[in-house]
This record gives sequence, structure tokens and C-alpha cells, in this order.
Amino acid sequence: MADQALEASQPVDLTKHPSGIVPTLQNIVSTVNLDCKLELKSIALQARNAEYNPKARLMFVIESLQRFAAVIMRIREPKTTALIFASGKMVCTGAKSEQQSKLAARKYARIIQKLGFPAKFKDFKIQNIVGSCDVKFPIRLEGLAYSHSAFSSYEPELFPGLIYRMKQPKIVLLIFVSGKIVLTGAKVRDETYTAFENIYPVLTEFRKNQQWYGSGSFSIGIGYTCPNPWIRNITNQYHCLYYFVFFHQL
Amino acid sequence: MATFELYRRSTIGMCLTETLDEMVQNGTLSPELAIQVLVQFDKSMTEALETQVKSKVSIKGHLHTYRFCDNVWTFILQNALFKNEDSQETVGRVKIVACDSKLLTQ
Repeated sequence: MADQALEASQPVDLTKHPSGIVPTLQNIVSTVNLDCKLELKSIALQARNAEYNPKARLMFVIESLQRFAAVIMRIREPKTTALIFASGKMVCTGAKSEQQSKLAARKYARIIQKLGFPAKFKDFKIQNIVGSCDVKFPIRLEGLAYSHSAFSSYEPELFPGLIYRMKQPKIVLLIFVSGKIVLTGAKVRDETYTAFENIYPVLTEFRKNQQWYGSGSFSIGIGYTCPNPWIRNITNQYHCLYYFVFFHQL
Repeated sequence: MATFELYRRSTIGMCLTETLDEMVQNGTLSPELAIQVLVQFDKSMTEALETQVKSKVSIKGHLHTYRFCDNVWTFILQNALFKNEDSQETVGRVKIVACDSKLLTQ
């Protein structure tokens, strides 16, 4: 958290971030191998802030229900959630920086050690970094999707954001009409920064110009009309992270 | 039929258990009958709370710890405010044990 506050107060390094905007890291997902078999029920009964529901089913978008046998544990500092499996493998989510994710993972490993298991800290790896930022101008998503059709997926009736799958670096960007951007898929934060610098000129190219008429049902800017009559009144409120995974109890 | 035994830990449940234990100790009651009495106690408590109790209380406080295992939620709250229609009370530390009532009918 300290390093984020420092970034905000320091002027942006324009050699590293020519756009003048630095994406804020929102979530880090990491994994580590505690390298020992664990008894989940005993952990759930002894540790604080733990949940263990072996009957729960993990539901994916394709609707295949898979058993979810893990203890879900949380700590307050760094504010994170851990999924701990009987095999000794652990996933740590929710941290705002790579160092915080590692520190949190170490704290969970120490909790497991204190419960009597010979936990190690093997192969710690950052698996995903999620960042977000705001370019502070509206974007013509339809135009962008048409021009970059090889990388874009824009189905406003399914989801209000444009899904841009950048090849180099391999990052997925969610681009919203409001100018808010979500970047996910990075293993190191420089990939997030590079992806944003790559997309920034494209966003500027498809900047939505001022509306000629008041905020009515028409949205006629220069060269762009919303093709879908049902969503002509889109507001600029959309900016959301969406998860495909949710838990279902049977 | 399964019952929730958590009400046996209440003051009335503890008194009943103590009394039954005493009676079993001095031979006035068989252990099987004592267990039957406790099971009936579980059923009566559940029924009474479901049908005879109408009051609602809102509990708001700082969640110190939580646990979910064997379909039982255990919460420990700090500085909890118990609010009723006509009265309210603040308690420094409270433990809440909760079971899913849907599991009784399975």
C-alpha cells in the first residue's frame, strides 16, 4: 500500500509511461506449494476466518459442476483470501501488489505451520495481475471494434465493454464507453504498463467527440451513431470487473 | 429424524442435561430414556422458535472471527448492538452459532 501512495504523489515518469497515465493494480493472484498433505477439516476447525464446505460445487460458465474441496481463509493485513487445498497447493488472491501477495502467502503458510503441518514455501508464482485506469474521455467502441476486428469482441447486448485481446504482450483489456479500462492477464506489472501504452493511441484515435445535441435519445457525434436503438441512451456508468466463477451449494 | 443439538448448550438445555445426568447417576432414569428426552427437547425448541416466537432482532457489530465447517456458522462479534422494536443493548463480545434450518427437512 505504501508503494502505491508513493506512485500517486510522485510525478509520472513520461519515459516509462508516455501517456501520462499509470494503471492502478487492483488484484494479484498468486500460487504457492506448501509441499505437504493437509487435513482440511482440522484446519477449518482450528484456524480463524475459515470456511470449509466440501459439498460445494464450483460452477463455470459452461455449467459443469465440479467439486470444490478447499478451505477458504482470509486475513486482514494484507487484505486477501486464500484457497487451500488438501494437496498442499494454495492460491492467494486480493492483494494490491506483488510484494503484498507474497507477504500474505507467507502469512497463510505460517498459520498452517502453527497448526502443526510441515508447510514449506515452494514455487511461489504470480499468476495474474489485474489493473485499471481512466483515460478521462469517452470512446467510440463500435469504431474501435470495426477497425481492430482481429483483436476485438464487442457485443453490447451481452456485455457493455469491448474485449480487446492484445497479442503482444498477451493481455486482455476491457474497454468501456466511459474511458475506463481494465487490464488482465499479466504475469509481471510491466506487461500491464506496456499493454496500456500500446492501446492508448488507439483509444485517442477513437475518442468520442462532443455531442451536438443535448442529452436526449440521439448520440450523433462526428462520424458515429450508436447502431443499436435499444442502447442509444447508454450512460457512462459502466465500469465493472466480472467473474465467471461462482459457488453453488447442492 | 435428525435434530439440531445446539439448543442443549442454552441455559435451559444445560439445566435439563444436568438434571437428567443426576437421575441417570442415581438410577431413577435409564440412559436411553434420558437421550429420548433430550431429542424431544431438540424438537420442541425448534418448533417453539419457529411457530411461537415472532420478535425480530437486528445485530450489528465488528466481526472479529468467523468459521464455516460441517454446515455450521460460528461468528464472534465485538461491540455488538442488539436492536429490538422497543429496546437495544450493546454487548462487548458475543458468539453466534448458527445452523441451516433447510438441513432439518432433508
